[in-house]
Amino acid sequence: MNKTMTINLGGYALILDEDAYLIADRYLTTLARHFGGTEGAGEIMQDIEARMGELVNRQRGNRTIVSKTDVVSAIAVLGTPEELKNSEFAEGGFSGEERQQSGASVRFKTGKRLYRDPEDKVIAGVCSGLSAYFGIQDPVWVRIAFALLTIGWGTGVVLYLLFIILVPRARTISERLEMMGEPTNVDTIARAVKEELDDLGERLQERFSKKKRKK
Amino acid sequence: MNLENVHVQMRKGVLEMCILSLLDQEAMYTSDIIERLHNAKLVVVEGTVYPLLTRLKNAGYLAYYWMESNAGPPRKYFEITPEGRQFLEGLRTSWAEINEAVSRTMHNPSHS
Repeated sequence: MNKTMTINLGGYALILDEDAYLIADRYLTTLARHFGGTEGAGEIMQDIEARMGELVNRQRGNRTIVSKTDVVSAIAVLGTPEELKNSEFAEGGFSGEERQQSGASVRFKTGKRLYRDPEDKVIAGVCSGLSAYFGIQDPVWVRIAFALLTIGWGTGVVLYLLFIILVPRARTISERLEMMGEPTNVDTIARAVKEELDDLGERLQERFSKKKRKK
Repeated sequence: MNLENVHVQMRKGVLEMCILSLLDQEAMYTSDIIERLHNAKLVVVEGTVYPLLTRLKNAGYLAYYWMESNAGPPRKYFEITPEGRQFLEGLRTSWAEINEAVSRTMHNPSHS
């Protein structure tokens, strides 16, 4: 189950999954900041939004709801903030200093937050979340500790249940970054989006090779 | 100094001329302009073109108008202005000069 939102992206009315929405929102905010100093920034963003709407809408095909993959592949066409930075186009764009500044001043959240990690879990991701929080390399140690507590006095079970109830799951990219303790800024988001893309590529390849094998 | 960087710089130098040349033939929808550039391998990621178009427009070389579309919202069409044509002429001349100078140097380095 997933929440959806209806947005107007460059004139296209789209229904997005929450995940998809968060990525799109973060992407556009990052770009707006990136173009912030450029002449005609508002207009550039308008054009990019219109194009993004067009791309996402095309990706969506005849599904009702836009998924994360649709947004990510639109971003791949438009270019991640990282790529745009590297293929510097504008004279009088950004000097090196300015670029560094935008990296540092843009961080809105630092420090870690405790989340459960749904991508590395045995039961509910409590132990991997805890080890991320305390900087323990391998969650297996936390798991052993819980197991010992359970065998010893049974408190492990109670604690675990409490954690499930009290600690939220890290569902979005920004939540995952907070869990890992990376500040959410231009570069980390760019990297996360890139990882998402790589991941997507791998999954597609996998599916493709499975199909082949069936034949 | 690496090859990739030089390549990016070279592409950047001719991109404006290519955009103006495309629009010299007909007014075009933004996404079509980008598609043409992309197919010609002049552009890798699309995001780089928008600032360029806006800059050309603000310099008075391009103008745009909106056209209704039967699928989706109105589309932005760019067209070249008389000033843009003049500018393009200038670019073409210097491109021809550079082209000639470069090929002369490269093919006959001792006499240049």
